[in-house]
Parts: sequence; structure tokens; C-alpha cells
Amino acid sequence: MSPITWIALLAALALIVFLPRAGLLAQVRHYRTVRQREQVEDALKHLLDREHQGSHASPESLAGTLGLSRAAAMRLVESMEAQGLIETRGNQLHLTAEGERWALHVLRAHRLWERYLADEARMPLEKVHTEAHRREHRLTAAELDELEAALGHPTRDPHGDPIPTREGNFAREMGTPVTAWPADSPARIVHLEDEPALAYEQLLAAGLRLGQDVRVLERTPQRVVLSDGENEYRLAPAVASNIYVAPLPEHQRLPDQALPLAELPNGQAAEIVKLDDAVQGLTRRRFLDLGLTPGAIVYPELQNFFGDPRAYRVRGALIALRKEQAAQIWVRPLEPTR
Amino acid sequence: MPSKKVSLPSDACQTCPAYAQLEQMGIKVGNFDRVVALAGNPNTGKSTLFNALTGLKQHTGNWPGKTVTRAEGGYQFNGVKYKLVDLPGTYSLLSASQDEEVARDFLLFGQPDCTIVVTDATALERNLNLVLQVLEITDRVVVAVNLIDEARRKGLEVDTRTLSRDLGVPAVPIIARTGEGLMTLLTTVAEVIEGQIVTRPLRVSSTPEFQQAVSELATMIEELLPGIPNARWLAIRLLDGDTRVQKALLSGELAEIVARQSQADVQFSKKIALAGRQ
Amino acid sequence: MQANDVLAKAELLRRQLSSSFRDEIVKSLYAEAERIARRAVKVHGDRTYDLDQQIDRLITSPLTGLPIMLLLLAVVIWTTVEGANLVSEALAAVLFGIGDAMRALFVQANLPWWITGFVWDGVYRGLAWVVSVMFPPMAIFFPAFTLLEDLGFLPRVAFNLDWLFKKAGAHGKQALTMTMGFGCNAAGVVSTRIIDSPRERLIAILTNNFVPCNGRFPTLIMLATVFVAAGFQGWVTSLIAAATVVGVVLIGIGFTFLMSLLLSRTILKGEASAFTLELPPYRRPDILRILYTSLIDRTLFVLWRAIQTAAPAGAVIWILANLPFGSSNLAAAIASWLDPFGHLLGLDGVILLAYVIAIPANEIVVPTMMMMYLGAGMMVEGPGTAEAIRTLLIGQHGWTLLTAVNLMLFALLHNPCGTTILTIYKETKSVKWATVSVVITLGTAFLVTFLTASLARLMGWA
Repeated sequence: MSPITWIALLAALALIVFLPRAGLLAQVRHYRTVRQREQVEDALKHLLDREHQGSHASPESLAGTLGLSRAAAMRLVESMEAQGLIETRGNQLHLTAEGERWALHVLRAHRLWERYLADEARMPLEKVHTEAHRREHRLTAAELDELEAALGHPTRDPHGDPIPTREGNFAREMGTPVTAWPADSPARIVHLEDEPALAYEQLLAAGLRLGQDVRVLERTPQRVVLSDGENEYRLAPAVASNIYVAPLPEHQRLPDQALPLAELPNGQAAEIVKLDDAVQGLTRRRFLDLGLTPGAIVYPELQNFFGDPRAYRVRGALIALRKEQAAQIWVRPLEPTR
Repeated sequence: MPSKKVSLPSDACQTCPAYAQLEQMGIKVGNFDRVVALAGNPNTGKSTLFNALTGLKQHTGNWPGKTVTRAEGGYQFNGVKYKLVDLPGTYSLLSASQDEEVARDFLLFGQPDCTIVVTDATALERNLNLVLQVLEITDRVVVAVNLIDEARRKGLEVDTRTLSRDLGVPAVPIIARTGEGLMTLLTTVAEVIEGQIVTRPLRVSSTPEFQQAVSELATMIEELLPGIPNARWLAIRLLDGDTRVQKALLSGELAEIVARQSQADVQFSKKIALAGRQ
Repeated sequence: MQANDVLAKAELLRRQLSSSFRDEIVKSLYAEAERIARRAVKVHGDRTYDLDQQIDRLITSPLTGLPIMLLLLAVVIWTTVEGANLVSEALAAVLFGIGDAMRALFVQANLPWWITGFVWDGVYRGLAWVVSVMFPPMAIFFPAFTLLEDLGFLPRVAFNLDWLFKKAGAHGKQALTMTMGFGCNAAGVVSTRIIDSPRERLIAILTNNFVPCNGRFPTLIMLATVFVAAGFQGWVTSLIAAATVVGVVLIGIGFTFLMSLLLSRTILKGEASAFTLELPPYRRPDILRILYTSLIDRTLFVLWRAIQTAAPAGAVIWILANLPFGSSNLAAAIASWLDPFGHLLGLDGVILLAYVIAIPANEIVVPTMMMMYLGAGMMVEGPGTAEAIRTLLIGQHGWTLLTAVNLMLFALLHNPCGTTILTIYKETKSVKWATVSVVITLGTAFLVTFLTASLARLMGWA
């Protein structure tokens, strides 16, 4: 090959490696800053999590949560301290005001994403956490505001955890673990702990969900039995301790004859009592806009030949709903007048 | 300007001025005197009315959610050129769906001189939900009660006078498919725009705590933007967290609208005065 | 007073309000609407008998629902086949007659052979084929389809098919966008905007091409008439042809479900989103307007696009067929190079080449193919009749029933036309999804035709 070819080749190679922004080196550098930022944010979240539990993180717990070696965790702690995000007191790690602000931002991003993924992208609930974890590092505060507005300013994520506001305020109350709830007094599920994932999946598989009204029937060291008036749920106490409940608001109790619209017999008129709390965001609004408001009279008029969906006469129009949607609308059957 | 003169099929209406005639202008845009928006639920014959007025053959299939973008056309009535904007058919103006945003933003930021809300006489209750929401945004509304022939077939009679009194804005019975009642509708629209008909739109109140919040916020908005016509609606949107309204407030877009609106009225009365002298 | 103060106040107030304040707003709006409507609307007579309700009972009932839907589809397609046959031949005779006369004039005027060839054997013949093959079925199918659309029948179809779409992990409104695809796949893709969930909308977009659009119906109708229904006499012919096309459409719907299921289990995983659909009251359709919109807006629009691509395609074919290459011409060379691959799929090289040339608009596949076969110089008597086409394809180019069947399957499943691909790109704003739409359709087409061809050969049918 002639020298000129060699020089041209070398120049091209140098360009590929060193080109600002698009060059390989720049790409690697960019990737590393992104990785570092994600690591810092995950560390902040861990610290915040510990503080909410009333304890404090340590370099060891940090290494364990992030899957780092002890040396790498120490380096991370030093760098975060240098940035003024955390303070070490003995072996304890504390968030500074700046660190807490940032941690709340990430938490807010995580929970808003979870809400989005569950409500709008309709991702299975057990996958929402991982995907939200991937996305939480990407948005600025302003973009988060837009996401929040688009979702209709939700206050809780799909697991029932409160979503911090832009200023970092949020309600801390999490309800009581069902294992500490008095037997036979009605309660509403306000939170399903999503970690450990195994227990969470078990709860979902059993059919338990947020906003469900339950009663504790039996509580022994071997098992906890819950009932929602229809099904009984038998759970190991270790699993049941992941369910958090709160007292039922008096005015929101359902009348005794209430049943989901999906179970209303064909041709039986009924009055809508309430929309289930599990329906949130756009879906809830669409229901309301279609006139499916409490007090409206519904009448199942048509049935698809597979039995699902059914079409209901509501306020003069015929609206088709799938079984899943109709199950989220509580109705009270009316006396047969037709 | 070559434009064919087409008179509508003779109308049952007796009050129509004899000289009234409709000039179909198709898509010639620009040089319009007035802007009229066309809102309504899906399947109310909104697009049929649009075609009947503008002569634009926009297709109207019978299934929900077709007008994904808005269509524009024009008509001439009593020497005034109107631009007609067909908004997407929606059940409501409160949600974050694309259709509803387009409709809502046009009513708010497009500042039409009048809005015709097309309703289906066979399902009035459902349609009034949207009417009431439009009344929150703008005073200058005419309700077109369409499909009265279908309603009659089903044994329903709509008393538009009662309706009009309850809503505080004119309600006109029409059959868009045959053109019945269109002359009255256009006359009413013109009268609302010129102020010959004064509307007193009904404003629905929700829970006391919500009303309290709305009026607190609305007072602040009126202070910030004196002369804004729909402070109440803006307050509701802000409470709802509408980012588009938030941005418009911060960027001064809303202030511009207030200024532009008073200007437009002056310009138009000058134009009419000139035309009268000729 | 600053704008920021107002926003801060709004934030503060929102947090103080109970979380159900949006519910309360809508509730009070509807309560007021109910009150006003009750005052304004007077009910006369007995409302228990409602014609709409009776019709709805009939078309959604387990016994009559499915047959009625199938019957309507069959009637629409049969009308199209029967009507198109009558008009197509007459139209072809007229157009080709004009072409031959003009060609003779050119020859008389002693113009160079390549001008005469380029204009009359290339561009004009391409146009004449497209107009005579495309126009009649479209002019019948579009109004019939628009009639069903205006009546309010399509939402009922969506209602009936929703259960299947749910099982496939797709949105119920996909039935609406699918039926729009019968008119034009690009229009079908645009109509997916009515689906809010991004995941389900993508499924609807990617599978829209599995229903044959109006541009592909003529291909199917021609093949069904000329090959499948060839052995029959009289009115039975069009009945068999229509049944064949209905069968192909059903296969297409089957693939729509299958691919939706596959997508929702693999790259577009997720749960079904909330589905609400209004079943609007039936409306008396305005026949004049239907004719106007379906003929002017739709038929002429699609035909014009076909003409725009047919003229250059005709030119390309003529040039390819007249450029010497080795011992024959370039078209033959490319076709024979593609032949082994085509044979594997039960097709041949000319067909594949025609598909490549027809990427801008699927409508021109058959015309392109015919011109290339004819380009070899063997002119048949009056190219429009079924008998002439049979002689040409079976007698001279070795077609079998397998070729016809696989060509129908290929026409049903292969990649979207250029316009549709561009529309997919515009709607998704993603090169990736536009590419995926081509890959999955083309992949399915290759796989299915390869399997049927192999099976047929294995069983000794072909």
C-alpha cells in the first residue's frame, strides 16, 4: 500500500476514535457518566429508603444493594460526599438537604413511571418495577411535571406508595400490615410491598389488589386468612405481612347489594354506586366522560356471542365494555320496572 | 372571486330574512370576517352539518372518533364571510386524550366568535354534558339540536325553548341531512356574534369546597389578566393541572389573547361601517 | 400579581381538595344535564319497541351474528366480482382498441420503433391495464363498503370480534382499523389513531396489511376468476370466485389474529388496555353522498395514485424488456435469475420481479406481470378475456393451480405498498417500526408460500 493510503487510513481511524461527541472515546466517556449518575441515584434512593424505615444506610448495605465490591462502594461514598450529597457519621450514611432533594426527585420519577407503565402502557404489574427502574434516571424535573399532569396528578403509585410532589412533600402513612390488623374489622388494602418480588408475585397471583376491601377471618402463626366477601385468601404470615391496610372510609363503604357490573344479569337495570379505586388516570376519566358516573342507570342490553364484551345502555347511548372494565364498576340492582 | 351561489333547500322557517342566502366557498381560506367553531359528541351529524354549510365533501362514517384533525371551510351569510372550523367529536373536554386537547385548545386559544355545539336529539342528556363544558369556556354558544326527525321517529319531542331558557344560550332544532333549520341556525349565530342575542350561559357548580377553590383562583386570574372572559374555566383547568394552560399563563399567551380580542371587535365594526357607506 | 403566584396557588389548592374532585365535577355536570334534558324532552307513545334494538339483537346473537357478518362480506365481494367482470372486459377492449389504433398511426407516420414502443407498448399499455383491472372493482367495492360504514355496521363488527382481539392481546377498536384496511391500508394505519394505548396501536399498525386493500382485491378477483373458478359455467363462476376471495380474506383475518397474538407475546408484551366503544344508533345513509365521496374521494384518489405509478412502471418494464442482455433482454435475465427462488415459493421469477417493480403501489402487480409475460413478444388475441389470460399463463408460462393459489397468498401477506410504509413511518415516527412492518409481512409471505409449495410438491399435487 502506498504511504498516502496509510496516512488516510490512520486519519480515518483517529477520527473514529477521537471525534468529539460521535467518536468512540466520547461515546465511552458519555456512557460512563451516565452509568455513574445512575449509580449515584440508586445510592441516594437506598439511603432515602433506609431513612424512611427509620434506620440508616452503611457502606456495607450500599455495597449489598447496588451489587458493588466494598472498595467500589467506598469510592462511591467518597465521591458523593465530595459532591455534598451525603455525610458519614461513623459507619452511618446520612443524606444532606441537597442529597435528599435529589433522592426525592428520583423516587418521584420512579413512582410516576410505575403509574404510567401500569395505567397507560398496561404493563403487567410484576414487570412495572424493573422497567420503571430503567427509566427513572432519564427525565428532568420539568419533564416529570408533564408526565404527572398527563397522568392526572396521581398521589400513589400502583403499589399504593405515595408519590412525592415536586417540592418533595409526600404523605408518609403506609397503613398497617394486615398481620397486625384486628380480626373481623373491615379494611382497605392501601399498599402491596413489591419487595421481595417473590412474595409480591404470590399476592398478585392470589388475586389481591390495591383498593380491595378485605376482612381478616383468621390469624395464626401458620396462616392468615382474608376474605373480600366473595373469595377467601389463605396466605403464609410472611407473605401476608407485605399487605398494608387502612380503615375503610365510612362514606365509601359499598351498600350490601352492590355487585360488579360484569356480574349484573342481562336485562337487569342497575344504578352505578361507585367506580373502583383501582381505576385511575385516563381510564377513569373516560368512564366518567361516557356518563358512567355514580347515580347513572345502566342496563345490559347486548351480549357478544362469546359472552364478552357486553353493551350497556347508559344515558341514551349504547356503550360496549369488556368484562375487565365492567368488573371495576360497582352497581346496585334496581327493582324490575321494565 | 368566482363563487357559485347556491341557495339551500327551502326551509320550514318563516322568520328567515328573504334576502338571506348562503354562498358556498369550499376551502378558500383567508379573508374571513368571523370564525365559528363546530363542536359536538361523535355521531351527532356534526360533519354532515359542516358539509351542508361549506359544501366540502368531508367524509362522515358512522363510527366513533374519526375526525382526528380539525377541518376548516367557509360560508357566506348576509354578506359576512364566516370561517367554519370542525373540531374533533368528543364526549367531554376534560381528558388528556388527543382529540379533546385539540377541541379544548381551539375553543380556548383560537377564540372563535361563536361556537355551535351540535347535539343529538335522541340522546340529549349525554350531549348536554359537553354543552355545559363548552359554556364554561365561552359565552357565545348556539346549541344545534340535530336529528329531530330521528327523535320524532322514536317518539321524542325536544322543546328547544325550554332548553334555551335553561341553558341561557339559543337552541335551534335542525335536520342537517336535509338542511332543515339551517337558515335559522345561521341567523342565530350571526345575532349572537353581533350581540343582538345576549347569552347568559348556565354555569354548573360542583361541591362547595371545589367552588371555593375555583372562585379563589379565578379572582387571582382576573387580577392578573383583567378582562379575561373565562377566568373560571382557566381556574378549573389549573386545578386540574393542565400543562398547556400553565404554559400559556407563564408565556403571556393568555394576556395576548385578551388584547387581541378587544382589537378584533374594533376592526370588525369599522369594516361593517365602511361597507354600509358604500 | 405574577403568573407564578397563580400556579403556586393552584398547586396548593389542588392538594387541599379531596382526591375525588374530578369525579365530582363530572358527576355534577351529568346531574345538571339529566335535569335539563328531563325538562326539555317529552316522550310520546310506547318506546319499548325499538327497531335499532331488534337489529342489534339479530346481528350480535350467537345464532345469527356470525352468519350475517359473513354473508354481508360475501355479498359485497360477490357484487364486486360479478360487476367487475362485466365492466372490465368491455373497458379493456375499448382501451386496448384505442392503443392499437394509435400505435398503427405511429407506425404509419414512420416514427422510430423505440418511440412507438415506449409510448404505446410501455407507458400506455401500463395505464390501460391498471384502469381496466383496477377501476371496476374499486368503483363497486368502495361505495358498498362506505354504505356499511355509514349505516353504523362497523362498530358492531368490532363488538362481535372483540373477544378474539382480546384473546390476541389487542385492542377491540383494531376491528375498526382492520376493516378500514379493506379500503386502503394507508388509511387503515392512519385510523389507528383511535387507539390510545401505544402498544395496542402498534399491533394494529403492524398487522393492518394482512387484510387485502382495494388495490389488491383486483389481483385476487382476477386470479380467483381465471384459475379457481375456471371449470365452472355461468353464474356459478362468479359465486365460486367470490367464495375463493372470501376465503382469502378470512385467511388474512386469521393471520391478523395470529400475528397480533405473536406480537403481544413477544416484542409488544403487555395487558389489554381499557376498552370502551360506543355502538352508535343506525343512521339512514345518504346514497348520493356515499356515491360522491366513495367515487371521488376514494376511488379516483387511489386510481390516480395507481396511474401515477403505472406509467413509470410501464416505461421501466418496456426498457427492461428491450435492453439487450446476453442472448435475450434485461427483464428476462433478471426474471431467470430470480426464477429458482420464485420456484421455491411456488411462484416464478417474473412474478417476483413484478412485485419489486410494484412496491410503490400494489395495484399494478398484475398489469406489470402481464406486460412482462407479453413482452416476450407473443401477443394473444384481445388481452382482456379470461380465456386469453389462461392461455397465456398456463399454456405459455407453465402456471399451475399452485402458482395461482400461492400468488393469492403472496398478494395477501407480502409487504405493504410504498405509501403504506411511508404512512407507518409518519405515524410511528420510527424507522424501526416501519422496517418491522416490512420484515414481518414479507417473512410471513415467504414462509407460508414456501410451506404450501413444499407441501403441494411433497403430496404430488404440483
